Amino acid sequence: MIPDITQQGKPAQTAPQPSVPNAPVVYFQGVSKSYGRIHALSNITLGLTGGVTGILGMNGAGKSTLFKLLMGKLRPSAGEVKLFGTNPWKNPAPYAKVGFVPEHEKMHDWMTALDFVSTFARLHGMTRQEAEREAMRVLDFVGLADVAHKEIGRFSKGMRQRTKIAHALVNDPELIILDEPLQGCDPLARTTIMNVIRELGKLGRTVLVSSHILNEIERITEQIVILHHGKLVALGNLHAIRERLDQIPHTIRIVGEDARNMAKDILDHPAVFGLRFPNETELLIQTYHFGELHAELPRLIVENNHRVHLIDNPDDDLESLLNYLAGGSA
Amino acid sequence: MSRTDEVPSLWSGLDRKAMAVAEFTVRQQRKRLSTWVVLLVGIAAMGVLTMFYIDSMTRDYEAVDNDGDSYDWDMDGYPNGQERLYGTDLLDADSHPGLLSPPIPPDDASVWVNEDDFDWDALNEGSVGYDDNGDCNVEERTDSQKDRNGNGIPCDIQLDLNRYSGTYLISTDGNVDEDPDDEAYALEAIHRSFVLAIGKLGVVFLIGIFVPLFMATGLIRQEMTSGTMHFMLAKPIARGEVFLYRILGFLAIAWTYVTLLIVLLAIVTGLAGPSEGVFRFADLGVWLSVWLAALLAVMVYSMLFCMLGVLWKHGMVLALPIAAWELGMILTTLGAPDAAILRFSVIGWAMNIVDAGAALAWSDTPLLIQMGMWGGGNGPLEGAEALDIFASTPGLNLSALATVVISSLVMLGQAAACWLLGSTLFKGKEIE
Amino acid sequence: MREEVALQPEAPVTGQGRMDVAWGANTGDETDQELSQANTAQGGEIFEQHYTPWRGTLNPRWMRNWAILRHHLLGIFRKGHRPWTMPTRIFILIAFLASLSDAGMTLLSGLVGSSEFHGLFGVSRDNLYGHVLGFFPRNVLYYPIIAALLVGSVISEDREHGTSALYFSRPVSRFDYVSMKFVSVALIQAMVVLGSYLLYFLAEVVAYGRGWAWMVDVFPMFLAGILAGLLLIFTYTSIGLSLSSVSTGRFFPGIGLLAIVFGTKTLASIVKNLFEREILYLVSPYDCVAHVGQAVIGTQTTYDQYSWTYSLLALVAMNALALYVLATRVASMEVTRE
Repeated sequence: MIPDITQQGKPAQTAPQPSVPNAPVVYFQGVSKSYGRIHALSNITLGLTGGVTGILGMNGAGKSTLFKLLMGKLRPSAGEVKLFGTNPWKNPAPYAKVGFVPEHEKMHDWMTALDFVSTFARLHGMTRQEAEREAMRVLDFVGLADVAHKEIGRFSKGMRQRTKIAHALVNDPELIILDEPLQGCDPLARTTIMNVIRELGKLGRTVLVSSHILNEIERITEQIVILHHGKLVALGNLHAIRERLDQIPHTIRIVGEDARNMAKDILDHPAVFGLRFPNETELLIQTYHFGELHAELPRLIVENNHRVHLIDNPDDDLESLLNYLAGGSA
Repeated sequence: MSRTDEVPSLWSGLDRKAMAVAEFTVRQQRKRLSTWVVLLVGIAAMGVLTMFYIDSMTRDYEAVDNDGDSYDWDMDGYPNGQERLYGTDLLDADSHPGLLSPPIPPDDASVWVNEDDFDWDALNEGSVGYDDNGDCNVEERTDSQKDRNGNGIPCDIQLDLNRYSGTYLISTDGNVDEDPDDEAYALEAIHRSFVLAIGKLGVVFLIGIFVPLFMATGLIRQEMTSGTMHFMLAKPIARGEVFLYRILGFLAIAWTYVTLLIVLLAIVTGLAGPSEGVFRFADLGVWLSVWLAALLAVMVYSMLFCMLGVLWKHGMVLALPIAAWELGMILTTLGAPDAAILRFSVIGWAMNIVDAGAALAWSDTPLLIQMGMWGGGNGPLEGAEALDIFASTPGLNLSALATVVISSLVMLGQAAACWLLGSTLFKGKEIE
Repeated sequence: MREEVALQPEAPVTGQGRMDVAWGANTGDETDQELSQANTAQGGEIFEQHYTPWRGTLNPRWMRNWAILRHHLLGIFRKGHRPWTMPTRIFILIAFLASLSDAGMTLLSGLVGSSEFHGLFGVSRDNLYGHVLGFFPRNVLYYPIIAALLVGSVISEDREHGTSALYFSRPVSRFDYVSMKFVSVALIQAMVVLGSYLLYFLAEVVAYGRGWAWMVDVFPMFLAGILAGLLLIFTYTSIGLSLSSVSTGRFFPGIGLLAIVFGTKTLASIVKNLFEREILYLVSPYDCVAHVGQAVIGTQTTYDQYSWTYSLLALVAMNALALYVLATRVASMEVTRE
């Protein structure tokens, strides 16, 4: 056989399909990943097919590790990862249906956007012409058609991110993974990228987007996954999760001059279901109707002439919330 | 999607990926300043050597009177050689060919310099040589005086090849080929030494090891550290393929470069070297073997260094001692081409190929060395020692062709082993 | 401002509020509608801020420089200092032990009492020269490789990672920075080259019970050997660091140094053997040092065609060029990740 040097042969067929019908697109079963004594992910079980899913977590929560496991860059320490029903570690076949936008900022700055996208398109088995055509199509889709012949090194951050997205979309993937696609982008680029992602969702693709900013995810999708310290703490509809959060008992801490007297007046309130006095000046109130009680508190205090130094929500920090969630889902 | 349903072959799929990655690699290297610096420095180094060579090809070599017969000991105006030819007394001023009848006019002294050149065209064993100036075949001498080596042929040189050591035993009848043409010998010997030296040490070793060291060590590793490897590895392409195609892209540059360099050197030396025609076609065999050895060496080294880069992010720490080891080995090949330790190097095998090619193209080199060392009994002639340093017999004690084939296979095996090891390591790497 | 949302008493704390606290921060997105709705804080306070300058006394310059030097040197021996890579450290150890071979042989010859043995390995003019400047294996396998391994990760790594900012944001001048890097790289080499040289000398004294008379005799020779060693180290270091300052890679400076040392040496010896010309040795750093060393120590010179002063001049020129490159590159070095 003569090598197809000019790359003008027959166009490529869609790459060979991994032959597991009806398998979930993304499937984690009890997956853990640890580096020595650091647990990046522990016991994640998750299956996803279709729609846009936001992966929410703080820095170091394990979002990128999750994606890298999925892309076969890392090997799980325990458990099973399946991508279209096949194990992605050491098996590049399922990547034919995947587009991956890595978080790394470094790109091949010396290439033009078109070269960049089309070169990697050819790794899907496309011919040169085919790859260029597809590259122009996706660059147009992300709104970079007019700068396709410029070098990436001269691009702004938003343009670079969009180039990365274009590179991931060039094979018309069924699953698109975007690792922090909005990081460092200005509002305009952010909106463009969000629109692109929403568009992909409408096209019926499975999209995974990670971010550490809720607001971003909220504007893209309602289906979210929350990771914290490598644990899966919440999964599902954003609103449902919010409602569940309303059901958590809250604690209000009041520091005043006479905690016992204050308690008498506050105990009458229907929202309160528990009181504690750690010391003479401090009062801890427990409630399921935090908002209601919080609105009433100033009135109660003023009416009864209590002297209060501080009203505080001691467990209203992220850590306690997430610990609660982690405990609830375990 | 506008793709049709025509089924592509496995080959075309592979081939498209290979072309894409290789092309990508070539363009990436082309954009780097260091690539150009390394390649230009290589050309400059070879250029400097070639300048010295051209200088030595065009300068005049002093014609040495190796047998001393251009002197006129008795100051009678007749050089010793002429007196010896006519049987007059060398030390008696009153005995010279001018007194013979008819009187012989005296020769100029320069006639008796380089007057009896090597006549060893046959380069066979047995009887060679011819007494050009007739000072052996003097009528007054008896047959036994004319046949000192006792091979039954008067005034010749008996050559016997010692098949074990590869050296020739030169036994001469005396006054045969005793005053060779120094310039002709020096040009030939220096030309051959230069082709071998620049071929072995210059192209195969220096270019062959440093170009991969500079350019191939980071082929995979640099992409891994900068994070750009993620783009490529998110595509349906196996890591072993990535490794191989990256190397292919590098080889596209390095092989072209080496080929170009060798073609240039072959043209320059072919034109500048001593020859009967315009161009020395006989050298092409040597250049061909240098070319083969250089291509193989570049391939093995690039696989090796790229593999070391994958193995560890400080792969250079491992690559440098290996480069130094190879330097030690090439020095060993010059002195002891059949040392067993050379089997544990890359360059040892590459040198085998060049030596075998040289043995095929210039089968008379060992003899030429010994002729020069003997130099009519007054050796060594200029160039003989250089040729002795740079020419060596192929180290495997096999026929030249078998040496080329076996060494090439071994080097291909080394390359394959490095590739296998490299891609296995690469497959097992977790990429952050 | 959004961080304060949940802490205001009048703000209803809901699941949304809590999640906002957790992940809502810092979108930088002023046009965002959700954001402005959620932001119900009314009041605001600006705290008075004071800048308190540091009033301590700055340590003298040498002490700051010593800190840099110490950081690099101790990295060879233990953790918590400059992380030279493990194989670099192992290689230095191996090279050190290997270059002690002649010391070991001297001790052995003292035990055996064989004078032939001593002639081969004991302290003599030729052997002192050979310990520092012998080509194989010392200047093929040990010394240049140590230099190459060291320079590969000095300035170029700072350029690659932008860690030079750690120095330049402190009261350290660029000259201090580069000279301390230079000295530390040179000192590590000196530990191997001159350290083993001293031990070799000591081995002779111990094995043969040499007294003062002998030492006084040999001392000039000994000093000359040290001088030659310093010259070698200085040359390798300045060339290596100048390569390190022009590149950002980990590979390039080390490979470049070896390419220069071995490449010029190989070229020069080809020309020497082939054309009987030694002139090209003037571009080979190793040969220039060796020639000067031969002259200084007083061994039989192997370079016959020109005087050792030419080699010295070539050496000065080489080092000047290398230091010039180093100085200009460091002076114009951008404190950033390149």
